Amino acid sequence: MVILPGWLGALDRKLLRDIWRLRSQAFAISLVIAAGIGMVVMSFGMIRSLEATRDAYYDRYRFADIFASARRFPERLIDDVQSLDGVSIAEGRLTSGATLDIPGIAEPITTRIHSLPRAGMPRVNALVLRSGRRPNPARSDEVLASEKFADAARIGLGDTIEALLYGKKQRLRVVGTVLSPEYVYAIGPGQIFPDNRRFGVLWMGEEHLAAALDSTNAYNELLIRLERGAVGQDVIRRVDNMLERYGGRGAIPRSDQISDRFLENELAQLGQITAILPPIFLGVAAFLINMVLSRLVESEREILGLLAAFGYRSRVIMWHYAKLAMVLSLPGLVLGLMLGSWMGRGLAGIYQEFFVFPFLTYRAGSDVLLISCLITIIVVLMGAAQTVRRIGKLKAAEAMRPPVPPNYSGGIAQLIGKFKRLDEPTRIILRGLVRRPLRSILGSLGVAAALGLYVTSAGSMDNVGMMTDLLFNQANRADVNVSFAEPRDERVLFELERLPGVMRVEPVRYITATLSAGHRSRSESLTGMKPYGDLNRLVDIDHGLVQPPVKGLMLSTVLSKQLAVEPGDQVEVEITEGRRPRLALPVRRILKSPIGNPAYVDFDSLRPIMRETPLTSGAYLSVDPDKTDELYRKLKAMPQVAGFSQRAAALNGIDETVGETMGIVTLFNTAFSALIVFGVVYNNARISLAERARDLVSLRVLGYRRQEVSYILLGELALIVIAGLPFGSLFGYYLSKYLAASMSGDLFVMPFSLSVGTVALAILLVLATAALSALFVSSRLHRLDLVSVLKTRE
Amino acid sequence: MADPAPSRPAEDKSLYTIRGLTKIYGEGSTAVHALRGIDLELYKSDMVVLLGASGSGKSTFLNIVGGLDEATDGQVFFEGRELTALATSELTEYRRNSVSFVFQFYNLVASLTARENVALITEIADDPMTPEEALALVGLEKRIDHFPSQLSGGEQQRVAIARAIAKRPKVMFCDEPTGALDSQTGVIVLDALDQINRELGTTTLLITHNVVIADMADRLLRFADGSLIEDRDNPDRVAPSKLRW
Repeated sequence: MVILPGWLGALDRKLLRDIWRLRSQAFAISLVIAAGIGMVVMSFGMIRSLEATRDAYYDRYRFADIFASARRFPERLIDDVQSLDGVSIAEGRLTSGATLDIPGIAEPITTRIHSLPRAGMPRVNALVLRSGRRPNPARSDEVLASEKFADAARIGLGDTIEALLYGKKQRLRVVGTVLSPEYVYAIGPGQIFPDNRRFGVLWMGEEHLAAALDSTNAYNELLIRLERGAVGQDVIRRVDNMLERYGGRGAIPRSDQISDRFLENELAQLGQITAILPPIFLGVAAFLINMVLSRLVESEREILGLLAAFGYRSRVIMWHYAKLAMVLSLPGLVLGLMLGSWMGRGLAGIYQEFFVFPFLTYRAGSDVLLISCLITIIVVLMGAAQTVRRIGKLKAAEAMRPPVPPNYSGGIAQLIGKFKRLDEPTRIILRGLVRRPLRSILGSLGVAAALGLYVTSAGSMDNVGMMTDLLFNQANRADVNVSFAEPRDERVLFELERLPGVMRVEPVRYITATLSAGHRSRSESLTGMKPYGDLNRLVDIDHGLVQPPVKGLMLSTVLSKQLAVEPGDQVEVEITEGRRPRLALPVRRILKSPIGNPAYVDFDSLRPIMRETPLTSGAYLSVDPDKTDELYRKLKAMPQVAGFSQRAAALNGIDETVGETMGIVTLFNTAFSALIVFGVVYNNARISLAERARDLVSLRVLGYRRQEVSYILLGELALIVIAGLPFGSLFGYYLSKYLAASMSGDLFVMPFSLSVGTVALAILLVLATAALSALFVSSRLHRLDLVSVLKTRE
Repeated sequence: MADPAPSRPAEDKSLYTIRGLTKIYGEGSTAVHALRGIDLELYKSDMVVLLGASGSGKSTFLNIVGGLDEATDGQVFFEGRELTALATSELTEYRRNSVSFVFQFYNLVASLTARENVALITEIADDPMTPEEALALVGLEKRIDHFPSQLSGGEQQRVAIARAIAKRPKVMFCDEPTGALDSQTGVIVLDALDQINRELGTTTLLITHNVVIADMADRLLRFADGSLIEDRDNPDRVAPSKLRW
């Protein structure tokens, strides 16, 4: 026996000893609470940390509020923009795509090169110098490289890389590595996951880049920082007007900038998950507390009566049990806080794989901890409320009276007697279940909740798998994609066809345009696709393959929602390149596409629209795998090629980064769900044991064998668990579906694809946990003293 | 010490032979001697009443002979087979096939009717009565489909007796069967036990605090401090209905 300090009151001593007696159930409850609180602390803390880090980073490094690009505009325009109302800083720069030839990497690497102002470092989108130094303005070959890219591609300081820039070969020397607020989430064109080895960003002196691009005294990008309180839309409208005659492609606010959009999207998703999963965990915890406490109070009726008879006020007794529930959950809270902070730090590490900040420290903050404590108290009181209220109503005399046998007459219990074929142990099981229907149902629902959570957690991998399949097996089936610095006429396709190993070539055309319907408008690129292509196809998540519309537009679901249009509606299309034609096109079809918000047109319909000879912005190639090295060598030397991507490499990248990191997150969630399964099943089993112990031991005395009494105990548990399985599978299915839908934003649509294998595995896990709990309780059952139970009254 | 063992009929009436039965709880200075070397012979069809104060060792004796507890030392033979040498699972078989129990607090399964509570035993017995027969023996043929919550204390105890007798056990152990009942109801219950002992010849060992009940027995065993201090025959067995307390 534990020696307790003398100052502790009698009731508090009872409380502590009760906790000790209930320790195994308290442990199971604690695990479930810890899982819920852990998730709250981890997710809230992570959202906080990400937001704080982002805000500080954006602010300190002056991340632009408005981004505009044009074909080419004169330097002096910057002064005009600077003098606009609300503009704090305006800065021009040159940006170009380039391909790099890096020793040790066979395929050409796609990069983006930005110019550095003559004065030194950029004022807007300032750079964080991580290693090395700034380029010497006098030297034309010195560049800065994005740090993650340099690391992944193994480019060291002082290394020379060969770049194909605007059709000209150039040797560049990396003298420093940097981070930029513009590339927190650095992805190449058309990608959704960063692949740092195959997409990088370089910065070089303005004069030298201008010389390479034949573009002196002119820029093609404009970055604007706004003054506090300035209205972005006003500035955007004016800038658009100013840039129109220079081939402006429509300015966008920060919220449309790709890196920021992904970051926002991630924060939103994190918020979604936090809003859905922890409440389920904590709900289950409340249910467990309810179960344990109501059983305890039932077994302590006499004590309650005694206390009341001695003159304890019912308020004091009620508080005693409420306190018991709280102390019971305290370890869970502490464990949850620790677990959450630990996982938060782990998650911060994972985030740094995707989102590159100069610093990202996970900090939960005292308010998050406070909120967690508050949540726990609420959960506990919710769980305890019913029982505690019942205590308040119990009369002293009533509590002191010996308990009458629980009444099983009437209703379904009576009905079970009609089935003559049932044996008595089975009758005991069935009547036990129907006598407390609410508890049996709650028990099953608890199992269902746990199963559902597991299915949802493990199922998220199925969804990502489906997404990869849609993107890389069904839609983009080309081995290699190339994109050109400038649209080319179709002769370039013949050139590509003649390259070694190339078996098939399909063109694609991207045109920047502003689409409007009513007062809504979006700047997007129109993608011109050949019908019945084989390498790049349109895939609808729900309907599979579709063909580009012959006349008119096919819009992605997201874009159609943004423009509030349906098939049959007209969309105003203002092309922002070439002769900048304006026209109205009907929406022919809405495409539920996994990525982004594209608009598609038939490749051949573009010629009359654009009033030009057919041009192509890039091409999809299928390649003989034996000849890839030779092909890459040739491609690296082709001046037209500005971008390059390889399907196998992209898939690998996804497998590596996404697979691994999502794997860890899924593992966390899955482990939590397994805890819940265990908590629910084990508590159910323990309470059945406590309630049945007397009956079961009586049966043992009467000559029932161990397995025969185990059947009664575990039969009830098995029925509760089995009844929970179909509900759990359904719950998991819908929760998965809901989560997939809520994770889908305007960046990508998460397809929903729950595999039967995942559900089967989840069911297996529940059954295995149930078997383990069963083993625990039946070993306890067999250890029960046959003699002692007979002497005690219930 | 026990009085000299009463003279008894032939050896073949012997059911239990008990030699030096000792039970010690705990060890060293905290050891409690619950039984201090009991030697005893019990005979078929006897109604035996065990008397003694709390802690005298009578319940420990009953539990060991009933196959619920293990002896620290000594031997118990049942029909020539040594119980004290049996494994747990063999003791279960012994309880299942040869003996029956009636408890102070009835220990009925609340979710089963009277008939079903009896069926609980008849289902696992080799040559049982029907539950209806067993319940008729204790005069409950009219209450057969009632749940324990619908029965009085005496009725519940009679269901427990019917449950005990239904498998036609060789021995019936009753631990304070009337302890929770008023005297009038107690007599009805004892009557049922008496009737079964007479009609079926079931050996019955009955623990009680109540000295009066000893008058309905063939033999009285009195325990004190772990020893048998009195062992006497009662040739003038009286019917329970004549008992008053």
